Amino acid sequence: MENLQSGDLTIEVAETDSLFRCTWKGKSNERNPPEILRPWFDKLLAAVGGKKGSIEMHFEKIEHFNSSTITALIRLIQTCRKAEIRLVMVYDQSLKWQRLSFDALRVFEKNDELFSLRFA
Amino acid sequence: MSSAPQSHPDEIGFSIDMTVRNEWRNVDLLRTSVQNCFTAVFADVDGCHAIAMVTGELLENALKYGDWVSGDRAMFRLRVNGMRNDVVEVSVQNPLRRDDTNAQALLSAIESINSYPTPEAAYRARMLQIAQNDDEDADLSRLGLVRIAFEGNCRLSAKIEDNTVTVIASLDLRGA
Repeated sequence: MENLQSGDLTIEVAETDSLFRCTWKGKSNERNPPEILRPWFDKLLAAVGGKKGSIEMHFEKIEHFNSSTITALIRLIQTCRKAEIRLVMVYDQSLKWQRLSFDALRVFEKNDELFSLRFA
Repeated sequence: MSSAPQSHPDEIGFSIDMTVRNEWRNVDLLRTSVQNCFTAVFADVDGCHAIAMVTGELLENALKYGDWVSGDRAMFRLRVNGMRNDVVEVSVQNPLRRDDTNAQALLSAIESINSYPTPEAAYRARMLQIAQNDDEDADLSRLGLVRIAFEGNCRLSAKIEDNTVTVIASLDLRGA
C-alpha cells in the first residue's frame, strides 16, 4: 500500500501483522478532499480486506483539516463498518480542536467495536 | 503632573479588513496568517486556532457559493475584529447572483443551526445526516457552518444586500 501525497497532505502507511497504521501529516485543505481521499481509501480497504486486517488512523501530527475532510472521514467510518473492517482513530487530546473534532465522532461508536476512538 | 493613561492588557483591540482574491490557495494563506497574527496578540492558543478555523471555513464557503462569474470580485472581503478576552467577530462577504438559491439555503442552514438547543446538538445531527446520505456531494454538505458554531463556539448570522451576502460568526472568548 502506497502513501498518499497530495498538496499539503501526506498519509504514511505502515503495515505490521495485518494492522495498517496510517499517519496523517500536514494539512487537508483541498477544495474537495473526498475526491482525493476516496480513491485512496478504496485501495486501502481492498488491501486491508484481502488480509483480514484492521486500520489505525493517527491524527496527532495533522495541523489542520477542513470540514470537507470530516465528511470524508464520516463516509470512511460507514464504509469500514459495512465491510466489517475494524477502524480506530487516534488523536491528540491535549489539542482542543482535535478533542472537539474527534469526540464528536463518538456518535458513530457502537457495541460492535468496528469503530473506536483513542487518545494518543 | 499626571501620568498618561495606560491601557489594560485585556483591552487590546484588533481589526483586519481586507479585499481577497478569489483563489482557493488564499484560504490557507489567510487562515494561517490570522492564526499567526492572533497568536502574537493572545496567549490563548486554542482561541487563536478557533478564530483561524472559523476564518478558513467562512472563506471556503464564500469561494464555493459566491458568484465569481458576473459578481463584483472586489466585494470578496474578510473582516476580523474584537477585543482580547471578549467577543471576536469574523465576517466574510462575497458577491451573489441576483437569482441565487444558495443564499436562501445558507439562511435556512443558519436558522436551522440556531434552532438547536446547543451547537453540539446541531453538529451531531448534521454528522448523522451525512452518514445516512452516501450520495450527498461533500461540497454541499455545509458541515463547515455547523462546525463553526460548534468548534468555534460561535453565534452565526447572515445578511444579504446589494448582490452580496455576508456571513458573520461571533466567537465568545470570555472565559475561554
